[in-house]
Parts: sequence; structure tokens; C-alpha cells
Amino acid sequence: MVDVAKLKEIARETVSRDDVKYLIGWRQGTFGFRAAPHFVNKPEDVDQLIFSPLCSHNLATYLTGVEKLPVPRGQEADSRKVALMVKGCDSRAVVLQLVEQGYGRDSVVVIGCPCQGVVDQKKVEAKYPDMGENITAEWGEKTIIFNLPSGKTEVPREEVLAGKCLTCRYPNPLLADAGAWEEVAVWGSDDYADVQDLEAGNPQERRAFWEDKFASCIRCYACRNVCPMCYCEDCILDRLNPQWITRAVNPTENTAFHLSRAFHLAGRCIECGECERVCPVDIPLMKLNRKLTKEVRENYDYEPGLDPEAKPLQASYRPNDKEDFIL
Amino acid sequence: MSAEYQPNIVAFLCNWCSYAGADLAGTSRTNYPSNLNVIRVMCSGRVNPLFVVNALQQGADGVLVSGCHPGDCHYMEGNFYARRRFGMMKELLEYVGVEPGRFNMSWVSASEGAKWKDVVGEVVDKAKEAGPFKQFRRDKINW
Amino acid sequence: MDILKLSKDKFADFLATLSEQKLYAPQKVGESLRFAPVTENSKVELDMANTTVPPKSIFFPQTETLYSYEMGNTEMQTPREVDEGIVLGARPCDARALVIVDNLFAWDVDDPYYQDQRAKNTVVGLACNKPCVNCFCLSVGGDPASTEGLDVLMTELEDAYVLEPLTEKGQKLCQSVAAVTEQAAAEDQDGAKALHQQAREMITRKIETEGIPEKLPTLWDNSLWQETADSCLGCGVCTFLCPTCHCFDIQDEVEGIEGRRCRMWDSCMFKEYTLHTSGHNPRPTRRERTRNRINHKYSYFVQKFDVIACVGCGRCINSCPVNIDIVEILRQAKEAL
Repeated sequence: MVDVAKLKEIARETVSRDDVKYLIGWRQGTFGFRAAPHFVNKPEDVDQLIFSPLCSHNLATYLTGVEKLPVPRGQEADSRKVALMVKGCDSRAVVLQLVEQGYGRDSVVVIGCPCQGVVDQKKVEAKYPDMGENITAEWGEKTIIFNLPSGKTEVPREEVLAGKCLTCRYPNPLLADAGAWEEVAVWGSDDYADVQDLEAGNPQERRAFWEDKFASCIRCYACRNVCPMCYCEDCILDRLNPQWITRAVNPTENTAFHLSRAFHLAGRCIECGECERVCPVDIPLMKLNRKLTKEVRENYDYEPGLDPEAKPLQASYRPNDKEDFIL
Repeated sequence: MSAEYQPNIVAFLCNWCSYAGADLAGTSRTNYPSNLNVIRVMCSGRVNPLFVVNALQQGADGVLVSGCHPGDCHYMEGNFYARRRFGMMKELLEYVGVEPGRFNMSWVSASEGAKWKDVVGEVVDKAKEAGPFKQFRRDKINW
Repeated sequence: MDILKLSKDKFADFLATLSEQKLYAPQKVGESLRFAPVTENSKVELDMANTTVPPKSIFFPQTETLYSYEMGNTEMQTPREVDEGIVLGARPCDARALVIVDNLFAWDVDDPYYQDQRAKNTVVGLACNKPCVNCFCLSVGGDPASTEGLDVLMTELEDAYVLEPLTEKGQKLCQSVAAVTEQAAAEDQDGAKALHQQAREMITRKIETEGIPEKLPTLWDNSLWQETADSCLGCGVCTFLCPTCHCFDIQDEVEGIEGRRCRMWDSCMFKEYTLHTSGHNPRPTRRERTRNRINHKYSYFVQKFDVIACVGCGRCINSCPVNIDIVEILRQAKEAL
């Protein structure tokens, strides 16, 4: 459990440090069950910080997503640290970014927040539609408590938690410099039932399933941009020469886009579920990512983002890797 | 001419083993199906998974990636990386509904002209069984 | 013009009559709602808040071929003729957006592709009985039962629809469905009006636009833009789903000896949008891009065409992954002015 008051205290101390540029946390959103990323530049902004079941955003994406302007002559680049609040899954993103040398360990201050699961906006909005007012939430014992206008309402967590949280095996941050917490118990286990459902079908069924989903893609690239592991400065999707995937939005290119996006995350997806959360047309992207996660776990006994010393999956090999598929 | 369906297969062969193996099959006058369009690459580890997707988009009915046997790579470990990469890629392609026979990988050394013939035979048979690939072929959609 | 009443039992016949022409209606594609051609097996979903993708995708498709060509032939092939069609179930805000975008596509050059689609399609609107929590159409000159851009306004009553023809095209459409409809009684018309009024009262979000178009650019260096852009991911959700966003990119696609020149939606929130060949980018960070998006909608477009390029549909607020809220931005802007 996290003591939010104490967390704020830590945040205030961190932001006051001279070597910290800003802190990234969460604040209550502008309507309904939404929360929003909160950039704390001054100690007084700390008051708005929250940590609740609404904090689904994986803030690690902001560590690599900064657009840097050229430093004017005579000035020095700002090399101060960035402080970041992380849940269990977010911490795996930080670990993997460190493994892949996205930045150095001393350029980030990680504040750990053990997480008992975040709500799925779509589930909760279907359950309580038309909530214009801002609604806060908190964790109960195996429940989520919403402060609705009609009063406190306690909901079993299975009903509103995001899919990734129901199978979460790493609710506690794996990497933290500070934090006001006791570890929460791991409640989930993962049998990849969603992936197995689809695997059980024949190729035609799987094809029909994905063709329908990919057809709805509008190629807004929210899934790419929100992904903490998608941080190439020069993405193949933006390149014109060679243009692997054209900008035309049709089933062919959409399929190629989704295959390449998923494959770029093979052995790198830390299962924060952000891609699926942000998709405006609700493509079940985690079902695609988790297929690869499952293969990676089963065949290569590898899970990304657990060990800062481990080599990335695709940059390493074992002589006895699986090769039953080779003719 | 027989009206039998002839699949179009793109084969990425590594320069040091598989390409030489295919060459050996040729110089030994081995008879094997002519459905393959060979692209020589320096190493199977050089093959980007996007090549496979792109080949399928642009008209291939099947793709073959072939390299040296594990341990024999000219660059020591290129084929080990390729093995991991394409082991996952094959699973991913099958997961979105591409038939299992469409993507194949093989190890053929420079001395294995006879094995090359068998591999090609198997790849072509599998592609014939799967039929023409239409799933995400890049054709004139709404042109 | 005669106002008609369509009983819900006859809705299937109504659809069958309309689908003699090309008919677009909200349908589920994947998990999202969008306008798609109605075929025998389609399930038309009019019981919705609004479609995920606005109907602009019919008039200004996400990918549209301008012409095609092939090697050895010096003539270009222009795309096939557009058939006359019907767009059923557009919300009044989205229809109003078409009128706003009309300005742009008839501005310096008449855009034949867009204008052709506009001329040949009849838009049947569906008045909002239950606006969403983030609707603010009243603040930007719209209305849950606005008739701008519509040829027919449909209002859903409990067991029937009231159809009000508004233009010649609309009248023609109403005549074609005469067999399945009847004259609307006075109480049905009053019922529809009452529903419109009820919907108006349900809209809670609002913005103050007074003075914004003239003065918004004066906030050029305000910290507001940085604060908003801090959390922005730079994706295209807000612009692609916006019914008035109309930016496009033109690219050539070549396949063998054939090729086409096509245009596709582009987004000012993408880094590549303003990237010059030299490598210079006049809008180098998301701060400038966010500022441009809001300024374009609420100031530049107004200065050029005298109408705010926002219809208050709330899509950008609903779908933003990080809760960037245009109502909130404008509230802060208004405060800073």
C-alpha cells in the first residue's frame, strides 16, 4: 500500500532538489474517471498529485519522448535529473530502457508506487455512463471504491480492473530510489487464456478476427507514441525512403503496420497495456503483443524489464534455442 | 502446359552456405522446382522481418530464409540471432492467420546440394497446399 | 415542406428503400463505430452517442486516389465517377463541420474530389437526444438539432422518427420514402421540438469564445502551451477524429509499372508535418504543435472564414490518451487574456 501523504512529502523533497528538473506523476483529470499525467515543476504543484486506481498512464514514456531543441551557443544543456512515479509495470519499462541504454541510471529518480491495479476506462464508463463530474477513486480490500455523486460505491476489482492488472505478476516496482510503501501481495497469475482462445482456432478464423480489427485502424500512431519502448527517433513508419509501410490506410498496410509494431516489441513488451488503452478504435493490441510475450517466456525463458543486467532478447542467443520449425 | 497452380516463393539465401548449396545443386544438374526467386544476402542474420512481410505484401505466396548450420556462420553468430528472430516471426504470422506453410526457414550448407533440392520440394509443396496468398497482398485497393 | 413520420416497425423497409442508392450509415467496424456502405448483412447502429470516426471520412476519405498512371502511357487516369448517395445518421455537429470545411475546399482552389462528394450525397441528420458529457456545441454556434449542412433532420421519438426535409435534395429523399412514411401529426412535431429543447438543457460543458479569435495569438509565449504540451504524446487521435480537421499529405505510390498519386489525412500533431527537406522544423516541439492546433481552430480559421473550426463534438476530449481537454485549454486561455 502507498501512503499518499507520505508520497507527496517525498515528491516535494524531490522537486525541491537542485539536481531535479521536474517530477512526473498523476493528477485528477478534467471529467469522469480520468486521470492525467502531471508535470511537477514547483513544490506547490505537488498538492495536485494523486495516486489512485485511475492512474493508468505509464509515465516512463515521457523519459524517452522529450523533444530536445538545439542548445544555443554559449549555453549548457540542462542535465538535471527527471523524477518519475512508477507502478510495477512502469518500473519494468524503466528497467528495460536502462538495459537498452535509452539514458543513464543517474539521469532519473524513480519513486516507487506499488499498485493494486488500475481501472479500465472503458469498463468503468460502461458501468457508470454519463459521468461529467470528476470522480475520485481509491483502493479497498480487493475492491475499488468510487466516490460517485450518489455516494461511495464499492465495486469488486474484477469488474473494473484493466485486463493487464487481472494477470499482473509484478505489482511492486522492481526499481526505485524512493517510495513510501509496503509491498502489495501478488494476486494475479498468467495463463495467457486470451491468447490461447485465439490460438485454438484455425488460421481462417484468426485471419477473419484480425482483418476485422485491423480494418478499423486509423493509423493515428497513438499506440506507438504512448509505448515506453517505442522511442526510435527515426521510426520506419515516418520514413519515406525506403518506405516499408506506405501511409495509405487500407487493410494491407494496416496489417503490415501492426505486424511490424508488434514485432518491434518482441521480447521487449513489458505488458503495461498502454497501447490498448489509448487506441481510439479499440483494437485489442495486447492480444497481439501477448502472443509474443507468451512465446518468449515459453521458448526462451525470458521476461523483459526484470533485470537491469540482462541482455536484450534479440541481442543475445543460446546455442540450444528452439529450432523445431527449421526444415 | 499444365494448369497446376505455381506458387511464387521468395528465398533469402545467405552468401556463404545456402547460396553456395543452391549453386551446387545447380552445377550438379539436380532437378528441382523453379518457383523460387532467390535473393542473396550476406547472412541470414541480415534478413529483416519486414522483408518477409514486404515480400508477402508484394506478391510472394511463400518465403524461405536459409542460412548456415548453427555454429557454421561465417560471421560466427548471425544465424543464431536469425533463429530467434524468425522463430518468433513465424509464430506471429501464424497468429494473425497466415498459413503455417508460408514461412519457412532452413539450414543448408555449401555442400548440401541434395538437401537443397529436398528443402525446395518441401517449401513448394507447402505453398501449393496453402494456395495463392491474398490476405494482405498489396493490390489496387480503391485505386 | 411536409414533415414526415416513420414508424420504427417500418425502419427496415425505410433502409431497404434508401439502399437502392449508395447508403452510408453508422456500423461497427472492428470495435469502433463509423460510417460504412450498407449492404444486405450490415447492422445499422443508430442507437449511439456518436460515431468514433466522423462522417468526414465519406467526403474526404482517409486515403483518396487523385489519379493513377502507368509507365509508357502519358495519360493520367482519374478515378471513377462518384455515385449519388445518402449519408444516414450524421449528428448535427458533424454535419455542421462539413459546412465549415466546405469553406476550405472552395477557397483558393475548388477541390473537385471533395465538392463532387458533397454535391452527390444527401445528408440525413439525426438530432441528438442525449448529448455526451463532453459535448459543447452550444458554445461554438452549434445545436443538438442544428440543421446546418443537413438535407433532412431526423428526430427519434419513442416509437418513430420524425423526418424534416430541409433542402431540395432532402425533399427528393422524403418523396422516395413516401410509401413507408406518413404525415407527422402536430404532436409528433411538438414532441421532437421538446426533445431538442431537452437535449439543449443537458449540455453542461461550455467555453467562452468572446474575444478568443482576435486575441488568442497574443498568448504566443504563454506558459499555457508548454503546460498543455508536457503530457502530449504527439499522436494523431485528436486531429484524425476531429470532424473539421482537414489537413492532408500527398504521396505517390508505385507498384511495378503502375502508380497512383493519393492524398491521405495528415495531422499537425505529427513531427513530420512541418518538417522541411533541409531538416529544419518550424514547429520543433509539441508545444508549438499544440499551440498551432488550438490557434488554427479558434483564431486563424476564424480570421479567414469567419467561423470557428470546432463544432464541440467532444471527440478530442473523449479520446485523448492523456486527458488534454480543449475546454480546459480555452478556459485557461480566456483567463490569461
